[in-house]
Amino acid sequence: MNFWFAVFRQTGRNLRQTWTSQFMTFLTVSLSVLIFAFFYLIYTNMLGAGDRLSDDLRLIVYLEDEPGPQMQEQLRRKIQNFDDVEDIHFISKEEAYQRFAMQLGENSDVLQDMPTNFLPASIEVVPLKSLRGYNQIKLFSEYLANLPGTEKVQYGQEWVERFYYFTRLLTIVVFLSGTLLILTATFMVAYTIRLTIMGRQDELELLKLVGATNSYIRMPFLIEGILQGFMGSIIGLSALYGLFQWITAHFTGPGLLSLFQFSFFPPGVIFLIIMSSICLCSIGSYTSIRKFLRI
Amino acid sequence: MIEMIKVSRTYDPNITALSDISLSIATGEMFFLIGRSGAGKTTLLKLICNMETPSNGLIEVAGYNINKLKGKDLAHLRQKIGVAYQDFKLLSNRTVAENIAIAMEVSYKNPRTIRHRVRDLLDQLQLVDKHDTLTGELSRGEQQRVALARSVANSPRLILVDEPTGNLDASTTRRVMELLTRSNKAGATIVIATHDDSIYQQGNHRIMELRDGNIHSLTRGSLK
Ligand SMILES: Nc1ncnc2c1ncn2[C@@H]1O[C@H](COP(=O)(O)OP(=O)(O)OP(=O)(O)O)[C@@H](O)[C@H]1O
Ligand SMILES: [Mg+2]
Repeated sequence: MNFWFAVFRQTGRNLRQTWTSQFMTFLTVSLSVLIFAFFYLIYTNMLGAGDRLSDDLRLIVYLEDEPGPQMQEQLRRKIQNFDDVEDIHFISKEEAYQRFAMQLGENSDVLQDMPTNFLPASIEVVPLKSLRGYNQIKLFSEYLANLPGTEKVQYGQEWVERFYYFTRLLTIVVFLSGTLLILTATFMVAYTIRLTIMGRQDELELLKLVGATNSYIRMPFLIEGILQGFMGSIIGLSALYGLFQWITAHFTGPGLLSLFQFSFFPPGVIFLIIMSSICLCSIGSYTSIRKFLRI
Repeated sequence: MIEMIKVSRTYDPNITALSDISLSIATGEMFFLIGRSGAGKTTLLKLICNMETPSNGLIEVAGYNINKLKGKDLAHLRQKIGVAYQDFKLLSNRTVAENIAIAMEVSYKNPRTIRHRVRDLLDQLQLVDKHDTLTGELSRGEQQRVALARSVANSPRLILVDEPTGNLDASTTRRVMELLTRSNKAGATIVIATHDDSIYQQGNHRIMELRDGNIHSLTRGSLK
């Protein structure tokens, strides 16, 4: 009969004998995976939304006067002095009026009595994709505001600011829940395996005496850890998927969430989470084996 | 099978359990070890199966220096040595069948082979009805037989038996000896430590008497 059959039989015995603490560990691991994956999912979706938002990010520089061609050239140069930009687009008063009318559509007749130059001329600056982060954009807008002849700069400051701080907060939460996952997975697994080992000293002792190889004695505990990691992450992720389905079914539609295009993890990330969970739990069981299994 | 050269074993506060024992036991031999309580019989058996290490001297079992063996090699050698301990070392919360099976499981025997072998041994030792009893609930004499069954279960090349008949009546003693004799006929080397002169007087096996850790005499049983 082969080694693996014997090892799995031994693992089954371990599990049967200590199933209550095994079950508690399994629940803790699942819950940690769920918590971590939950925040991580929100985080990745936020990042996705952030990408989409910053794709559309434009700084509008309102000007006091309509710039002549010479002035335009000068402004363009000054803007590019700060940083390369994706695009610079001058909008004359006339153009601004046209756009506004277009946006109003059917209601454009309210503009009938207005002069076509009542809107200020502006420059639309599309920053480079590499210009990320709230601080850089803020610096850039301050620079633009100090150009000669500018009135003010707009880019949805409040929105960008809040979004930026929320992502920062989420980064911290993801980090913390990741730490929680690492701690629970390694320590809980190490603890239950320690419990099993302690409860069965006499058997492990006897196994040695009747000629069990070290791997035959150790492997079941390692498999236990791997199983905990595997099952825990599968259940944790499945719970999250259920939650995700429920949320998308109840909260999508025209609203804030649709802006985010909430999406679940791609297979690669799922695989990675499962693998890390398995790794962490194996590390937990391995440390216990090293510490308490004197062979 | 066993070579011991000037083997001594002392325990910490200058207790000499064994001193300068030189001994050679041939393959296929049945060898008796006798002596008063505390003479060093158990210590000698423990040295042979590497449960204890000698303070001095050299022990070779099946051509291996047993104290230099490690890891897999030691495990494989131990699978070939069956030991019935004086304190039995049974797992009291496991059944009789499970206790016997352990010795075969470590060499990855087929579960069906294990089942048959366990039934066969229990039959020979009149324990069939205890198959599923926890060993903690057995009498001393029953535990003793389970320990013996476990030691011979994996058909080892060397069987070390410590006090196999201490708690048994005459007819059960006979069955135990029949089992050991059968293993011996099948080629196993057997070393038995005992007080029971009824078992070592019935053959022409070599008998070594220990006294205070020394070899007192080495004789042969008087063949009836
Ligand atoms: N672990 C130990 N620590 C200290 N002394 C020990 C230890 N094991 C055995 N001894 C001592 O070694 C001596 C021999 O003991 P051993 O168990 O070999 O005797 P024995 O011949 O098997 O006796 P019995 O017939 O009662 O089983 C005894 O004096 C005993 O007290
Ligand atoms: Mg003894």
